[in-house]
Amino acid sequence: MKKTKARRLNLKHEAGYWHGRFMAMASPCEVLMEVEDKKLAARILEAVMAEAQRIEKKFSRYRDDNIIYQINNANSAPVKVDDETARLIDFADQLTQMSEGLFDITSGVLRKVWKFDGSDKVPEASAVNAVLDYVGWSKVTWQDQTLQMPAGMEIDLGGIGKEYAVDRCVQIARSLTKESVLINFGGDLATTGERKNKACWSVGRLITGKDNAVGLFQLNRGAIATSGDAHRFLLKDGVRYSHVLNPRTGWSVPNAPHTVSVAAPTCVEAGMMSTMAMLQGEQAEEFLKLQEVDFWLD
Amino acid sequence: MQLKKIKGQMAAATCALLQVATPVANAAENDWDVDTAFLYYGEADGRVQAAEPAIYMGRNIGDDDRIDLRVVVDALTGATPNGAYAVNGVAQTFTTPSGESSYTIAPGDTPLDSTFRDVRVALGADYTQSLDRMSKIIWGANLSGEHDYFSMGVSANYSKDFNNRNTTLSAGVGYNNDTVKPGGGVPIEFAPMRDQGASQNIDGSSETKTIIDFMVGITQVIDRKTMVQLNLSLGTVSGYQNDPYKIVTVVDDPVAGLPSTAFLTANDLPYVFEKRPDSRQKSSLFLKAVHHLDEDVINASYRYYSDDWGIKSHTLDLKYRYELAASYLQPHVRYYSQSAADFYRHNLVLGTDINTAGDVLVDYASHDYRLAESTTTTLGLKYGIPMDDNSEFSVRGELITQSVNDGAVPAGQETPDLSAIMLQLNYSFVW
Repeated sequence: MKKTKARRLNLKHEAGYWHGRFMAMASPCEVLMEVEDKKLAARILEAVMAEAQRIEKKFSRYRDDNIIYQINNANSAPVKVDDETARLIDFADQLTQMSEGLFDITSGVLRKVWKFDGSDKVPEASAVNAVLDYVGWSKVTWQDQTLQMPAGMEIDLGGIGKEYAVDRCVQIARSLTKESVLINFGGDLATTGERKNKACWSVGRLITGKDNAVGLFQLNRGAIATSGDAHRFLLKDGVRYSHVLNPRTGWSVPNAPHTVSVAAPTCVEAGMMSTMAMLQGEQAEEFLKLQEVDFWLD
Repeated sequence: MQLKKIKGQMAAATCALLQVATPVANAAENDWDVDTAFLYYGEADGRVQAAEPAIYMGRNIGDDDRIDLRVVVDALTGATPNGAYAVNGVAQTFTTPSGESSYTIAPGDTPLDSTFRDVRVALGADYTQSLDRMSKIIWGANLSGEHDYFSMGVSANYSKDFNNRNTTLSAGVGYNNDTVKPGGGVPIEFAPMRDQGASQNIDGSSETKTIIDFMVGITQVIDRKTMVQLNLSLGTVSGYQNDPYKIVTVVDDPVAGLPSTAFLTANDLPYVFEKRPDSRQKSSLFLKAVHHLDEDVINASYRYYSDDWGIKSHTLDLKYRYELAASYLQPHVRYYSQSAADFYRHNLVLGTDINTAGDVLVDYASHDYRLAESTTTTLGLKYGIPMDDNSEFSVRGELITQSVNDGAVPAGQETPDLSAIMLQLNYSFVW
């Protein structure tokens, strides 16, 4: 038998369910499980934690030991990627097409000139234009599971990773129990199925400018994801520059909503839909209405 | 930019991203849950010592059924009271069950038969059969054997969930057939033990008894943290229920309580083999509550038992599971008290209960301390370490003290208090 060192799980019993917590992907993560048995709850929590940590480790752009680092440091050499990475890049590729270039996993380098620290340090146009040379999915060759891009460009799957992790964990939880489990990674949430007695999972909703949850999401199935960040913006001459950047111009999208939450069958769909809405700026609400999804805007 | 509807494309793309079969983190369904245990039980003053290794294994079959198997081995050594009592100033000599040797107990010492030695092997299997989503039957079978005792039994227990699974009703029936085959043969009831080497009062080599039990129960979830359970049991035992190794002292004078010197003929010792009724009707009521605190768990139960031998007993049991950082502590307190059987006798008095020809004037008599009025207190502590891979190691220790109330008996003839310790090591894992 494999013996491993006992590790403390943060697992508490609450009114009718087990509540597990941990930190991953720089977010507080929680797992609510409507199961009786503590051992089963611990098993689900451990499996979810392991998956979240695996995805973080594999796709974080802050590490130097993963596929993202290899790609970003290939110095224009082609990099062959594994199946899972390829599926994520394929997905991002389709999103870029759907959004006509508004969604772009190469836009991360714009953060070198845009520092959303609440100050008034809006970058010079020349600095933005210099960086913009390194942005654009159309500059990348992606075929046969091999990615080749000019030196200096970077990709970042961070915009998909958390939602993808939530959906993967939903699948894992479903394989372990028939009872309802809610996965919530920093406000991106999804449930494995309906609760007993038609009850809903209640999850606190964060609203711009408030530190605490205001209002509740009542979720009985599917997923809800939120884009936006109350604390990441620049303010200069009375203009608020949101942290949503248009990869085609290199500039902050004007009049973007502070936060957008969308409900969808999966967390990936909900997350991408809310991200796309943010990128529409002041047309966000119109865009969401057109999609015929449930949404919340601030 | 022209706004366009992308919902369908998004759903298709997401489907491609997530469609790959997920590797299951833990193949929960088809693993064996294994529980291995080693238990040591030791009574003070050289009495019974037992070593008991055990293994339990269970696994799910398909979606809803389950099988559970168990093997328990008991190795027992030491000495056990033979039913006679200590007397001051008189050494007492007894014949062993085989009739071929004898042992002498010093004045003032409790007579113990030290030839007690046995190995018992018990096997059990339960099969849980789901009838539909809300009801199931557990079929059980068990077998156990030792050199002088063999037992086999079957049981069936039906349970059904109601009320959103907050209520479970159950009903069960059990049947057991036991055969006792005493070393040296079955002693004749109320016949005297005889000297070593003399022909013993034996009639046949084995006896049997049959046990039938009925049980009905209800388990109710009060709220998400509290569960209560109530069981009612009725049982009937028919057939041979004596302990073939237990004797009762015959005395001339109940005030002195000394073994008789005027009893019967040469080669007869002043002790007769016990006799109990050949039927016993038992009933019991069991009440249990489990309450989850934030992390800790309280488990309390009470059992009331009564039978037509006159024994009534109360058992109170309390466990508190206290969660530590990466382990738990579980203190345990148990209190048990029982009244004596109607036929529990300190001795039989010559002339009143039995005459010199050996005719016994009482229906039944036994001086088995287990039929006496008594109280037993158990204090225990368990320490468990759940591990990451769903295994758990635990160690449990208990201190058991029993005291018998003999009633008014001559000084020095009291049943001594019994103290024992129990240590158990346990390792459970998923295999």
